[in-house]
Amino acid sequence: MKSFVIGAKTTKFGELWSTSPRTLAKQAVQGALKDAGLKKSGVHAIYVGNMLSGMLGGQEHLGAFFADELNIAGAATKIEGACASGGLAVHQGVVAVESGLYDTVVVLGVEKMTDHKPEAVALALMGAGSDQERLSGATFPGLYAMLARAYMETYGATEEDFAAVSVKNHFHASMNPLAQFRREITVQDVLRSAKIADPLKLLDCSPISDGASAVVITSKASPAGVRIAASVVATDTLALCDRGSLTSLQATKDASSRAYEQAGCGPSDVDVCEVHDCFSIAEVLAMEDLGFYKKGTAAKAIARQETRLGGSGVLVNSSGGLKACGHPVGATGVKQVVEVVDQLLGRAGSRQQTNAHIGLTHNVGGSGATAVVHVFERYQKGES
Amino acid sequence: MVSSDQGNIAKFMIGITSYGAYVPRYRVPLSDIAKVWGKSPEIIKNSLKIEQKSVPGQDEDAVTIAIDAASDALIGYEGSLENIDALFVGSESHPYAVNPTSTIVGQMLGIGNDYLAADLQFACKAATAGIQAACGLIADNNAVSALVIGADAAQSKPHDMLEYTSAAAGVALILGTTNVAARRAEMVSYSSDTADFWRRDGIAHPSHAGRFTGEPAYFAHVEGAANLLMKKSGITPDKCAYCVFHMPNGKFPRTVAKRLGFTKEQLLPSLTIDKIGNPYSASALLGLVSVLDTASAGDVIFMVSYGSGAGSDGFLWEVTEDINQLQQKRKKAKRLLSDYIGDGMRIDYTTYLKHTGKL
Amino acid sequence: MISPVKIWRNQSSITSYRGRHGVVESWTMIRVPLGTYAHLAPYPVVLVKFEDGTRKSLQLVDWKKEDLKIGTRIQVVIRRITESNDEGVIPYGLKAKPCDGK
Repeated sequence: MKSFVIGAKTTKFGELWSTSPRTLAKQAVQGALKDAGLKKSGVHAIYVGNMLSGMLGGQEHLGAFFADELNIAGAATKIEGACASGGLAVHQGVVAVESGLYDTVVVLGVEKMTDHKPEAVALALMGAGSDQERLSGATFPGLYAMLARAYMETYGATEEDFAAVSVKNHFHASMNPLAQFRREITVQDVLRSAKIADPLKLLDCSPISDGASAVVITSKASPAGVRIAASVVATDTLALCDRGSLTSLQATKDASSRAYEQAGCGPSDVDVCEVHDCFSIAEVLAMEDLGFYKKGTAAKAIARQETRLGGSGVLVNSSGGLKACGHPVGATGVKQVVEVVDQLLGRAGSRQQTNAHIGLTHNVGGSGATAVVHVFERYQKGES
Repeated sequence: MVSSDQGNIAKFMIGITSYGAYVPRYRVPLSDIAKVWGKSPEIIKNSLKIEQKSVPGQDEDAVTIAIDAASDALIGYEGSLENIDALFVGSESHPYAVNPTSTIVGQMLGIGNDYLAADLQFACKAATAGIQAACGLIADNNAVSALVIGADAAQSKPHDMLEYTSAAAGVALILGTTNVAARRAEMVSYSSDTADFWRRDGIAHPSHAGRFTGEPAYFAHVEGAANLLMKKSGITPDKCAYCVFHMPNGKFPRTVAKRLGFTKEQLLPSLTIDKIGNPYSASALLGLVSVLDTASAGDVIFMVSYGSGAGSDGFLWEVTEDINQLQQKRKKAKRLLSDYIGDGMRIDYTTYLKHTGKL
Repeated sequence: MISPVKIWRNQSSITSYRGRHGVVESWTMIRVPLGTYAHLAPYPVVLVKFEDGTRKSLQLVDWKKEDLKIGTRIQVVIRRITESNDEGVIPYGLKAKPCDGK
């Protein structure tokens, strides 16, 4: 692998009523280019991760749209994979640079969700599932709720265990100035919040958010920085009902095992990671499917605060995750990379993990039909 | 080509080869309705002789109910789906003003494309008219088997008298000439232009002419058809095991049975109205199913339907040995009509309004 | 409005499941519905496994509280999918009804 992240920038995430997608994109891309010390003319391609712009805003052709808006000449493409759109766009950027056809690329993840009523957004998000799932009246929380129910039945996890995920992520977000929710919450807060799809409650679910994030990827190494050690995409059946298991996401397992192989490391080498916690159960499953915990044990481990800043295990979702940092769908996968890059470069402020050398990002589309795993390595020229 | 002898035999042996029913699970007690409108529950229940009525689910309609009833009838059906050469659905709540219920049902049941489909409407006797038409097709050798369904998710205006009785259910009869469990011994029909109850196109709820729905309407036509039936067949009430009449309320069938010379014992097994109300096109047929579920070989069933507008279809059914097999199959599947009627879930008036689309 | 062509093209996938028996493998209660199902909320959605090993995500109807558990036996029924206030073709589709082994 011969690609490097040389610039990274995320905008504020939240209900940004007066900020347009164009402004969000400009903030993210200009910020990332500045971070990279690069001019627009040095960009050879731009990859845009976004899911809902067409369905909600009637705007397609986002490659051309943002290339125009950002005044970037070069190959421009939109990438879509539901909630994995951002991660897939990063992967596309890596593929572009690895192929040798493009030297330096920008990856932009952007989403504007708060212009529309939640019902319209919920319907659009179910575009990530299958026709039969939509016909059955299942919502996104509903699909993950069924995973949660199966996990609780099989491993005896409780709603309190799941609540610990949200509590941890809110704690991390309290130290992230860009996060949507910076208020800490308690397990009781989660349990008392309104039911969305039993057993998932409001505070088990990531919010509807606006935001953008961008990274610059290049083939030239600088004296010190972040190397992309692995970039893997795996897919599984579109519909939840066609999966092999209701207590694990095979796509995550496939993507991560190949990523570890590519990077030449294992779960125990990872110091910091951003995983896809669209719902609290999703982070539990991710911990197991990414190999950090044995099947059936992650829920209790998270409840014991092992994956919290200062905990005994890998640091998970220091940005606040999807739950507390926010989840502007197309932006999330790129934001995850920005957070890990910041951690590896020692720029994470009060959320900084000590001795962060290897980081991992995990981005999922739909109820597990797509999984994208990246592994990043801090390097110093002269080190192997 | 069928010789006249064979044709006559076919006519002789046409009848019900299988039957089924479906009643939605929800029930609203009449007392709940009465209380909302400040009426005395006891007076209402006594005058109508009804306890509760069946209510369809929010996602049920005449089409889904017809499919359920037909699926039920297929339990006892020995023939092949391809031999169902005619499919009639009678209802006064067809979901479309233009687009047939019958082909949706035919498609869902998987009976192929080689069949005649037709939707009928004639208030509560739409389906029984279909039975007569189907018998003609079978006698003419143009249908091996015919599936005739009466299904309704009846609508009524809140606070109107009809609110106490309008219910939902479906009945499906498969008619043919093989394994006939109830032979069609005789049939008649009596029709006139009498507008006692009607619904204009585009209007949600039906209207009625009050007490005019009694003597000049229900009684004139039921008795008219009954007399034609007795004259044509020579049958007398004492030779019948059972009588079945359309049930707009609990009183009318009791009154007309008595007038025609039938006893309470002959009528009682068919009175499904007290537990589930009046499911319009399925009403008389539900009474028939109720009787067929307990009848024995040799029993003669005297049946007259009624449809406002107005008309009555009369039938004489002669039960054969083949009824036993049908009853056993239905019992084993726990799908006797009594199972459906007993499988009720009580809802309150507000939920009833939600289910019938008024909220 | 759902395309009548799509409704027509999907008929066979509906008819082949009518009346089949299955078991609930997981379930949830949808309290914040999709727009087209607003009139039915809250409603349960179940993941059903059939004898041939295939699974489907289906809305549960005519249910009692005790039916909301893993292991409930259901039968596939045909019901209206959307509300009636529409000019379009009515989509009928598959739902699950607890059947107590019937």
